[in-house]
Amino acid sequence: MPYFGSEEMVKELKRALSNPNVQADRLRYKNYITKVIRYMTQGLDVSALFMDMVKASATVDIAQKKLVYLYMCTYASDKPDLALLAINTLRKDCADPNPMVRGLALRNMCNFRMPGMTEYIEQPIVAGLRDKASYVRRVAVLGCAKMHSLQPNTDIDGTIVNELYALLRDPDPVVVVNCLRALEEILKDEGGVVINKPIAHHLLNRMKDLDSWAQSEVLTFLLRYRPRSDDELFDILSLLDSFLQSAHAHVAVATLRLFLQLASAHPAVQADALLCTSAPLLATCGAASRELRFAGLCHVQQVMRSQPGLFGTHYKRFFCGYSEPTYIKFRKMEILVELVNDENVALVLEELRSYCTDVSPELAQAAIAAIGRIAQTYSEKCLDILTGLLALKQDHITSAVIQMFRDLVWFCPQSTAAVCQTVEACVDSPQDSEGKQALLWLLGEHGDQISSAPYVMEGYIDGLKTELSSAVKMELLTASVKMFLCRPAETQDMLGRLLHYCIEEESDVCVRDRALLCYRLLQRGVEETRKVVTGPKSDPSMSVLTGRQEEPISQWASTFNTLGPLSGCDLCPQTAVISAADQPSSSAEKELLPESTDVTLSSPDDTEEEISLSLGPPLSHETFEKMWLDLEILQRQTMGFPRPRTALDTLQAALQLVKIQTLAFTPGATVPWKAYIYTRSTGTLILAELLQGDQHAPGIDESLVVSVKQQPVNQHAIRGFVSILKGVLGDVW
Amino acid sequence: MAASAIFILDLKGKVLICRNYMGNVNINEIDNFMPIMMKREEDADLSPVVIHGSTHFLWIKHSNLYLVAITKKNTNAALVYSFLYKLVEVFTEYFKSLEEESIRDNFVTVYELMDEVMDFGFPQTTDSKILLEYITQRGHKLEVGAPRPPATVTNAVSWRSEGIKYRKNEVFMDVIESVNLLVSATGSVLRSEILGCIKLKVVLSGMPELRLGLNDKVLFEITGREKSKSVELEDVKFHQCVRLSRFENDRTISFIPPDGESELMSYRLNTTVKPLIWIESVIEKFSHSRVEIKVKARSQFKSRSTANNVSILVPVPSDADSPKFKTTTGQAKWVPEKSAVEWNIKSFPGGKEFMMRAHFGLPSVESDVLEAKRPITVKFEIPYFTVSGIQVRYLKIIAKSGYQALPWVRYITQSGDYQLRTN
Repeated sequence: MPYFGSEEMVKELKRALSNPNVQADRLRYKNYITKVIRYMTQGLDVSALFMDMVKASATVDIAQKKLVYLYMCTYASDKPDLALLAINTLRKDCADPNPMVRGLALRNMCNFRMPGMTEYIEQPIVAGLRDKASYVRRVAVLGCAKMHSLQPNTDIDGTIVNELYALLRDPDPVVVVNCLRALEEILKDEGGVVINKPIAHHLLNRMKDLDSWAQSEVLTFLLRYRPRSDDELFDILSLLDSFLQSAHAHVAVATLRLFLQLASAHPAVQADALLCTSAPLLATCGAASRELRFAGLCHVQQVMRSQPGLFGTHYKRFFCGYSEPTYIKFRKMEILVELVNDENVALVLEELRSYCTDVSPELAQAAIAAIGRIAQTYSEKCLDILTGLLALKQDHITSAVIQMFRDLVWFCPQSTAAVCQTVEACVDSPQDSEGKQALLWLLGEHGDQISSAPYVMEGYIDGLKTELSSAVKMELLTASVKMFLCRPAETQDMLGRLLHYCIEEESDVCVRDRALLCYRLLQRGVEETRKVVTGPKSDPSMSVLTGRQEEPISQWASTFNTLGPLSGCDLCPQTAVISAADQPSSSAEKELLPESTDVTLSSPDDTEEEISLSLGPPLSHETFEKMWLDLEILQRQTMGFPRPRTALDTLQAALQLVKIQTLAFTPGATVPWKAYIYTRSTGTLILAELLQGDQHAPGIDESLVVSVKQQPVNQHAIRGFVSILKGVLGDVW
Repeated sequence: MAASAIFILDLKGKVLICRNYMGNVNINEIDNFMPIMMKREEDADLSPVVIHGSTHFLWIKHSNLYLVAITKKNTNAALVYSFLYKLVEVFTEYFKSLEEESIRDNFVTVYELMDEVMDFGFPQTTDSKILLEYITQRGHKLEVGAPRPPATVTNAVSWRSEGIKYRKNEVFMDVIESVNLLVSATGSVLRSEILGCIKLKVVLSGMPELRLGLNDKVLFEITGREKSKSVELEDVKFHQCVRLSRFENDRTISFIPPDGESELMSYRLNTTVKPLIWIESVIEKFSHSRVEIKVKARSQFKSRSTANNVSILVPVPSDADSPKFKTTTGQAKWVPEKSAVEWNIKSFPGGKEFMMRAHFGLPSVESDVLEAKRPITVKFEIPYFTVSGIQVRYLKIIAKSGYQALPWVRYITQSGDYQLRTN
């Protein structure tokens, strides 16, 4: 690759491109252009050729045009002044009779990411929104979103938003979905696109025309919609029913999520939906693509948190294949552990047992851990297997088994005797620090039942100088003290040596402190030490372990079908912590949080933030009236000053400025004076009435009273709205 | 789903193709991808989602390429993976095989395609049949019929263009069933399932309407023909052309087919069938001297059917040498790069049993590396036969112009993931 002398090469290309002979020979010319793109792809800076490439865009060859456009999009942000030269060609192409060329030009023009682009692209975009060809409309709709992302801080253009809302009725399904996508981007700060009843029902009816990508996205958008009545809810659910069994895994899962959320008040419906999707989910777990299989498994895990029994009979589908990657095997093992019941325990254990001897030590250890977890319910069978594994004399296996023994003794005290016997018989000692700690804990805690315990421990004390891990040393100290309490005669001498070494020669402060602590404790007398050191030998709260508690579906439904379950269940809390600690990047992090309004409602630190209002699609008088009658007044407040004495259209304009739409008001100085206004904020619709001279409250005649209604309820938004309104009225007055 | 950018990388992580769709990520973010992958691979902690800061990399690997999508949103992961696989499918359709070489050779077309399949991070037209109509690998000149967006892009029937014409009208239908089997080392069947699909090759003019009749159990129950032989299909999935409402109402499969090749439907059967080819094996390893392998293969289907191209792959230790074979039929050979013996039987009639013995030498110095216990895998195909017993009862072709068309139906059963574990 010509990394060296790349300047030379650029010069040569420049010469060639500007050579009239080359320009005349279309094929040669195109070959040079292809060459430029090839170098660009390889990461070479060929931006110096910008002028020549702009010239090359005036061609009749579509493929060449595309190449040049690609080049221009790549370098536009570096060479904004030169890029402006290309705009004329692009704008001319936007009016080409061929829709393909129009779409292409418009798309690429919108892809120029440089400041000041908006003024050139606005007109072609608006024209594109009304183009006959749906191909161009698709491009234009997304162009609106691109235009907004170029200048994220400017005001939202109400006409474009309205136009996009209108295009939701476009006959072309991709245009419809692109509209949703674009509105979502443009209205991002206001909680995204508003899904009201007509839009929701329109989308539901169009579902079957959409391709699978669009279906899946529309389903996600519909999560925002709350049906008014149970009848409506069930209508929606029956429309969506067939999508639960969709051939595309992502559609089936998205439908399930919508079902779970819509039917949150109907557990029976949720359970039915889960049952319905269990087949497609299982099919995904056996998908040909490993990534999809992985995603399927992660989602099965989530479902099992609430319905552990759902996949019980299908446990064999979670047996690992030989060639599967480890990340799939790990998940499958986790699922198998959860699926164990009286009928299948023998087969599952046999299967897990065969993984314990896998060549990958990580996998083998995970399999042993899985058996260890099953042992908490079926201890006898598992103990046999674990004991059998010790005979293999593999370091990593021995270590994992000993760790499992420790956990088992802690959770199921009834297996202590058997474990102690096995540990006694085990000649191999673990080599890694986790295994050593586990063994030492067992020796210390149950030294009275393991006759060889002091001698094993002595080996560790003698090898102290070569021990690197301070955790092992600390465990050794504790274990020795415990051992001393139950078998003083055999331990006294070595405990002395151990304490001496740790206090006098150890460099690690923590170990030394622990040793000093033990030493002082022993000085206080044996009884005192016993009181401090010996605690309960098992976890009493865990004595009856009958499988995991079933969680309510709402626990996980909000992260279902997102990246959350795939990157470990701790993703969401983790990112929340990061965003709190690290303000600058918080907006990016917040996008990872589940998109549910509940989160914004419950998080206390949100109240400090400004809320923002938006206009959204206009409301008709009829709808307003109907909603006003249906809803309850949530807040009534006096403004503390009479109505502004300015002309009413000034007031209307002032309200419009802060994105509050005026629906109607009484003219002139009539008393009582009324005005109806509405606005939208973070996914809710706020309706309000301004009233002066209320006959029911004659005392406060002069002051303006505001009554607020809202759907859905969001107190935080109301507070914001009232304070904004107060500000405006105050200013005008 | 909003994928901010999509990259195609070679195995070393060098960018071959990059397309920054949204402009909200720095293109250099991709430089973090490979180091993280290497580290996680070392820790045996690889996962298809890689996180770096607020950037999420979702990747798949295809031959010697990585396809990586970057996203900053908490998107639907299954959707992104499906899209990446769709991309692979589209590229494969165009370049026959998708690998580093074909990407380098066709990068112009690759860019063109990436421009069409996604815009601003959202999937647009991904159907390769439609794309093939307006993105070709030959350059187009405007004056000689420049490509226009095909009618299908906007059509109500988005999977078929209008005005298709053939001289001879035919439909070829393949019913293919693949058998997945997993048998434990002790010889008990752990998993056995049949994945079936019906593939179409349509050579028909105009907008014909097709109706397909199967011996579907549910349909037979509706029509009161319970005595006839029928099959119970599970997990039936159709191509988008099939009218689902009609299927739900009266189990009729009616559709306007896509032109050319497509998969009409797929189904799954969980019924326990006798494994079609049963293998019994004894692998005796005498350390430092030799390995003796005895494999017995039995065909457990009716003798009027015959399995073709049966290939049985038996694992041997990687340090084995000097092979000796004896077979009752077929050829056995040692494949050192796979550390296995491949026993090929051209034709294996039903109800027969064959034997193979192999003998290998082992070096006297043993390596410390523990060897994985690999399973025996079997490949085969049985023509004119379906395990499930599914049958095409009729395929009606109704064309407005009233031409005569011939339907052809073939059945085949083949091995899928067919594994028998060894001791």
